[in-house]
Amino acid sequence: MNPGIFFEFAKRSVRLHWLRSLLAVIGIVIGVAAIASMGMLGNSLVLSISESLSDVGDAIVIYSHGGISQGPSSTTVNDKITQRMLKDIIRASGSNDVIPIYNTADQIEVGSDDGIATVYGLETQDLSLLLDLEEGQFLKSSAGALAGSRIAEEYDLKVGSRVKLGDENLRIVGILEERGMGFDINPDSALIVTDKFFSSTYDQEDYNFVIVKVRDINDIEYVKDAINTKMNRKDDVVDVFDTKAILETILDTFGQISTFTTAIGGISLVVAGVSIFNIQMMSVTERIKEIGIIRSIGTKKNEVLKMFLYEAIILGLFGAIVGALFSFLAGYAVLMVMLNSTEFLFEPSTLVYIPYGMIFGVVTSLVSGFYPAWKAANLNPIEALRYE
Amino acid sequence: MQIISLEGVSKIYPMPFGEVVALNNVSLTIEEGDFIAIMGPSGSGKSTLLNMVGSLDVPTEGKLYINGVDVGTLSDDELTDLRRDTIGFIFQQFNLIPLLTVRENVEYPYILKYRKRDTAGRCDELLKCMGLTENLSHHKPNELSGGQQQRVAIARALVNDPKILLCDEPTGNLDSKTGTQVMELLKNLNGKGKTIIMVTHDTQIAEYAKRTITIADGEIQ
Repeated sequence: MNPGIFFEFAKRSVRLHWLRSLLAVIGIVIGVAAIASMGMLGNSLVLSISESLSDVGDAIVIYSHGGISQGPSSTTVNDKITQRMLKDIIRASGSNDVIPIYNTADQIEVGSDDGIATVYGLETQDLSLLLDLEEGQFLKSSAGALAGSRIAEEYDLKVGSRVKLGDENLRIVGILEERGMGFDINPDSALIVTDKFFSSTYDQEDYNFVIVKVRDINDIEYVKDAINTKMNRKDDVVDVFDTKAILETILDTFGQISTFTTAIGGISLVVAGVSIFNIQMMSVTERIKEIGIIRSIGTKKNEVLKMFLYEAIILGLFGAIVGALFSFLAGYAVLMVMLNSTEFLFEPSTLVYIPYGMIFGVVTSLVSGFYPAWKAANLNPIEALRYE
Repeated sequence: MQIISLEGVSKIYPMPFGEVVALNNVSLTIEEGDFIAIMGPSGSGKSTLLNMVGSLDVPTEGKLYINGVDVGTLSDDELTDLRRDTIGFIFQQFNLIPLLTVRENVEYPYILKYRKRDTAGRCDELLKCMGLTENLSHHKPNELSGGQQQRVAIARALVNDPKILLCDEPTGNLDSKTGTQVMELLKNLNGKGKTIIMVTHDTQIAEYAKRTITIADGEIQ
């Protein structure tokens, strides 16, 4: 086969009507750039969120459901996990690690700097289950504290630094690795102390919440159900969250947002498709006589079809290539504005939206160009020849 | 040898107000090497007859054989191949393809047939035979005079060496001097064995033909 001559026809026709071809190409460029850059933005958002959320897919977080319980002599707000509830949780969790956690915020002073910091109280044997050390060592006695990476940076804390927490003096024995935002604890800008220190300093027996670390991630639903059945039999006593579900919900939401914005980009591609359809119809109508001539001297129907489809493909391909360049630039600009960083632009899962957009662009042009091409191919040669 | 034969051919067009009989039971045989002029008033059916013979159209009734093939049995693609290989068209309006240069216009049917460009120099040779100079061959058709365009069209009609040349008022858009030149060319081609069928209004032009057929109301007189 030598498709050369039909491609040549298409090329020359596009060039001859360069202005309207250009307008149609601009439509495709906008459509492709909109789809691709929106897809790239959505993917970068998801990537940046999943990166800043630490990969805590294996934790269940249990809070007290709250509510007011009326005792014979007092009315208390049950917003904490009591020792008895903790026992139930331990029993329901089987062999998985159960980590009760104290949590508050307090004033800290480091030299002349002061501020407010989150404080977590953990049993010493649980520390290594949740946290990783950057330097120093884990807590052994009540007199020390661990510092999160960000607070360490902010107050220039090192192993051996002294910190005044409330009225107590503490020595920093270890600095933690950066952990990112989590759904269980956020130790990066917190001080970690022992449970004994916490309960004596803040005079608190009950825990703020409990984390269950699941050994096998597939057990997470099972453990969650077991806790729910055991504790929320009559009334809701505790609220059970699993971090995996929270993470999935957030990522789902972002996925939906980016699908939505991509769909808006798709609308501009539909408009571009309509304009390609329009100019291809014009091209066919203007060239009816020419179609009659080439049919009469021996051009087959499918060759005429091809000739006009090539035109649509040329427009689509041009639009897609220019659109790809623009979507890269637009993606760069949007990410700079929205995320102040373009590090996720070069991820394959982000860049893949450029070929996606291009494919959509070319397919749109082909689909829009098909009916005009089909119409051209099926003209009656005698009537086409007679057409003036 | 018979190259075209019509046996009781009718062409009926269905119209909203009733059927129009463009050709009514026409029988005609044309021998290879013949030069026929078809004359008749407009609406007589001579264009329909020419379209039939050019295998652009097929009979509603009757049989039409072109180069021994019953065209009624052919598909659209086969009819197209028949036009490409056996028939050369020469039109009143020249009907060159505006997007292509003169040389490409001549080469176009060649590419359709052989699926490759003409590297043997056939197109240049034909253009030269038609009295067209080398530097004209890179121009677009609309940059040429009418007489030149018609000679390009003849070169195009000849490129696949067809047995039949169909001419629809070939001199209708030319002045009498260039018209005469074109007719001399056609006469020359007929002398080399091409079968020529020509529709014309002009009795002087018809005199170039060996045989004249007059058609009126869809029937040969």
